[in-house]
Amino acid sequence: MSRTITIEPVTRIEGHARISLQLDDQGEVADARFHLTQFRGFEKFCEGRPYREMPALTARTCGICPVSHLLASNKACDHLLSVSIPPAAERLRRVMNLAQLAQSHALSFFHLSSPDLLLGWDADPASRNIFGVMRQHPELARDGIRLRQIGQQIIETLGGKKIHPTWVVPGGVSEPLGAEQRDAILGLLPEGLEIAKRTYDLYKGLLPRFRDEATRFGNFPTLFLSLVSPEGRLEHYDGLLRVKDAEGRILEDQVPPHEYPRLIGEAVEDFSYMKFPYYKPHGYPQGIYRVGPLARLNNADACGTPYADVALAEFRMLQESGPVSSSFHYHYARLVEIIYALEMMERLLRHPEILDTRVRARARSNRDEGIGVAEAPRGTLMHHYRIDETGLITWVDLVIATGHNNLAMNQSIRQVAAAYVDGNSLNEGMLNRVEAVIRCYDPCLSCASHAVGQMPLVIELRDQRERLLDRLERTCQS
Amino acid sequence: MPVLILGYGSPIRGDDAFGPLLAEQLGAETSDPRLRIHARHILTADLIPELLDCDRVIFLDAALDTAPGEIRCQRLDPSRTGGSSMAHFLDPRELLAWCEALYDHRPRAWLLSVGAASLDYASYRLSPEVARVIPAVRVHIERLLEQTPTETGSEA
Repeated sequence: MSRTITIEPVTRIEGHARISLQLDDQGEVADARFHLTQFRGFEKFCEGRPYREMPALTARTCGICPVSHLLASNKACDHLLSVSIPPAAERLRRVMNLAQLAQSHALSFFHLSSPDLLLGWDADPASRNIFGVMRQHPELARDGIRLRQIGQQIIETLGGKKIHPTWVVPGGVSEPLGAEQRDAILGLLPEGLEIAKRTYDLYKGLLPRFRDEATRFGNFPTLFLSLVSPEGRLEHYDGLLRVKDAEGRILEDQVPPHEYPRLIGEAVEDFSYMKFPYYKPHGYPQGIYRVGPLARLNNADACGTPYADVALAEFRMLQESGPVSSSFHYHYARLVEIIYALEMMERLLRHPEILDTRVRARARSNRDEGIGVAEAPRGTLMHHYRIDETGLITWVDLVIATGHNNLAMNQSIRQVAAAYVDGNSLNEGMLNRVEAVIRCYDPCLSCASHAVGQMPLVIELRDQRERLLDRLERTCQS
Repeated sequence: MPVLILGYGSPIRGDDAFGPLLAEQLGAETSDPRLRIHARHILTADLIPELLDCDRVIFLDAALDTAPGEIRCQRLDPSRTGGSSMAHFLDPRELLAWCEALYDHRPRAWLLSVGAASLDYASYRLSPEVARVIPAVRVHIERLLEQTPTETGSEA
């Protein structure tokens, strides 16, 4: 008799998701699905708004990565204005983006994934949480808080507000950087880099423990999509699209971001509100690809900063040949990117023209369609707007980083479930690993995909008539 | 020791902006060096260092479980399972628990909330029910600020 296991909620505030595992007659996993059950409809309710409101509106999509939306949206507005923003403004936007990348990756590693990585997949769930980490590794937990604080302080120094700065505007930024502000930011970076380096070294030491998870956590061939610089280097703010396949062959390169509709199709499924983007030339669902830190490191020829390039070389050694294929190594890639972000911010801030007072190009709209693409912490973020002759939005398409990974997240759940789930007997270790493979992607389902310690989950085993056969529940209080 | 006032909520969702809007108003008006005021969308772990040298914290938030415009002042204790299921953002009690667990510091804390009437997206104004009780909320805040560091009380 085939049965379905339902894990719900995967999250319970704002980002509502569910996992269902379909078992065959032998109790083995036949299929698995990741359902985003929440609908927010930003693309619809933005219609009719003035395009200049879009950065402020879409930045509220997320309380963790608002800077990414702010940048992608303003880039789409730059496109509508048909302006090229001043070089100092571009460098300042880059610094803000990298500061957010560092703090967002810090959240993912130090506070969301560290309980599994440091305390063990099968540790007592009562202590396998952030407070368990605080007890056993208080310095690491403090490092995580400090690194986040550094990232947020940089954003606040630049933008005036930590969460939703209005300093980035269509055409550039509203105010130039002062020498005092620059020096204040530069003063934060050495401490941040020291934290990043020692955490990276700590993680490398832990890696041998995770051979099994690295083999089974989203380890399959896919394409990888990201921006790269014109020289093929790691890129987070601008650049050109690159698609690489699982063997390392470059399928698309130097593609201008506004041509993304040629590469990316968006499918829908009746079991989720999250779209299923795919690589158009391969069709759906064969055009599965991954974005985010794993894809960015796989696609880049080099980072371009000293310590990050050393770390990138070590990252490449995780795989005998070709791109690193296991989604487990998103954790590793995040740590490399934190190092890169801190190194690159220093380079940008020491540029002789960083204090240039020409930071904004002014224009009216000169096009009726604008596309802005940037790399958010979780992957490539695309904002695409159409406006009418009065500047009101008539159509919006947002391709969010977590959405790009939707097909891969579904396949990862299937792989982990097939490897660890015994449909005849549910247990906590299985449940934790299903959670953990999702966490590798650090999905941002409107800021809601992770637990402080324990994600409240219910796994139900039902027969074909939906009769409850078995139930395993884990609450925050357990 | 300074007193921290933390207003949080989404500024584009109507009454959810009560906390950050009031915090911004207070921040613009005060020159009292003992007050440290922040307006945030959500509460995140990087705020914990802000608590370390404060003996009192006042959180300002909108509430869904009270009548529109109803003011409620609750004393808060640290809780490791305060209510949020995610670390992308924290409940005020979780923020206090992180502070206590990592830095052995436990400031006295209150949650001053007002019942929301509307949380619509792309809504930039407070509802009349919430807007009209702002002066009364300010009085609550002043009362809390007048308390000496050693005073106690579960409700204000």
